[in-house]
Amino acid sequence: MKQNVGGRFPRARTEGLVIQELPDEVLVYDRERDKAHCLNQTAALVWKYCDGKSTVPSIAKRLEQDLKTETVDEKVVWYALGQLSKDHLLEENVTPPALLSGMSRRDMVRVLGLAAVVAVPVVTSIVAPTPAQAATCLGSGSPCTGGVQCCSGICNTGSCA
Amino acid sequence: MEKIDRLDWTAKFSLKSYGVRIGIRSNQPNGLELVRPHLPHQHELVDLPVVDRLYSIVVAGKNVRSNARRLNLLYADEETIARSRKLDDVLERLESDLRLFVAEVARHRVFVHAGVVGWKGKAIVIPGRSYSGKSTLVSELVRAGATYYSDEYAVFDARGRVYPFPKPLEMRSEGAFKQTKVEVTRLGGRTGSKPLPVGLVVVSQYKSGARWRPREISNGQAVLALLANTVSARRDPDKALGALQKGVATARSLKSVRGDAEVIAQLLLAMLEKNR
Repeated sequence: MKQNVGGRFPRARTEGLVIQELPDEVLVYDRERDKAHCLNQTAALVWKYCDGKSTVPSIAKRLEQDLKTETVDEKVVWYALGQLSKDHLLEENVTPPALLSGMSRRDMVRVLGLAAVVAVPVVTSIVAPTPAQAATCLGSGSPCTGGVQCCSGICNTGSCA
Repeated sequence: MEKIDRLDWTAKFSLKSYGVRIGIRSNQPNGLELVRPHLPHQHELVDLPVVDRLYSIVVAGKNVRSNARRLNLLYADEETIARSRKLDDVLERLESDLRLFVAEVARHRVFVHAGVVGWKGKAIVIPGRSYSGKSTLVSELVRAGATYYSDEYAVFDARGRVYPFPKPLEMRSEGAFKQTKVEVTRLGGRTGSKPLPVGLVVVSQYKSGARWRPREISNGQAVLALLANTVSARRDPDKALGALQKGVATARSLKSVRGDAEVIAQLLLAMLEKNR
């Protein structure tokens, strides 16, 4: 993945993704990493506007129009880009300004305070399970009394292989 | 595979379960009788020239020279998946592997590891892994009057409706590994037969003494919670996401840790009734 220092023209990744749109959210499955993400409305809109041509200020402007709100702080866009980048949903890595990097959702809420006119962008992720992980059997290292209980079928000295 | 094929197979048969083609062969003439109690609850015996997976069971006889017992063996295609002196262990392994394989490759269904009951025309789906307390909660819901659908899999179709997967409940006593099979009729309940739309998704983990303080989660979050327990999530995410998304579209989804299942069961039924 390339580094887009400053993230001037972020572009959403499209290859290797399964995308499902819900009324206020977007679900994304990353086939390369077997991870699934749920983007809330703000994160989903920012991701949608990452067309490789729009800058952070222009994305903020489009957010204002789409959500019919007053001025959207650019910090909101940067925060969303940071999360999307961390989850490999952008073509190039985006490095948010130093002030915002490593900021948690709670920090973001505090920084935006009452001035926030849109929901804080949130990307929730899970690692998709392997078939055995999603089944009724014990995973590796779990205590067992017989191989039948283990997904591997092997119970070695009281713990599943 | 060739090496296994050369063994003397006296019993061979094939079956279809949820569109998945399975072949089973054994070196014992009574192979089908041995295996029958371990077959998936929904299957039909059919003659199939090609199967998706072939199981081979070698039932051990006595070694004439040493008088020692040989091992019973189970192969899934060419891979050895069980070897034990106890035939029951091998047959149980066959049952669990077969169930998992069918759940993973079923053509028109999505299998989510979850407990399911029906109540007034809607399904309550409780996704969760082993030891999350699903069977206990399902049994309490059944005792409270709900219809039993499954304590293992919520079986979704492409429209997001849930089908019954009515195997006996498998209950563990606290701290024990071994499960005991309990027929739903012993709990005074009955098994559902029709597919139901989802009314409630309950993302919950048992924790001793915990207070039930549910918070609503979005449809997207509910889909993630279900996908985290979906057997075919990696194999076919497109199909899984499509079915699950439709499944939660009309449902309310809640998340909380929980303590005593008896109290929660009553609350859930009341909640679903209120939402109708």
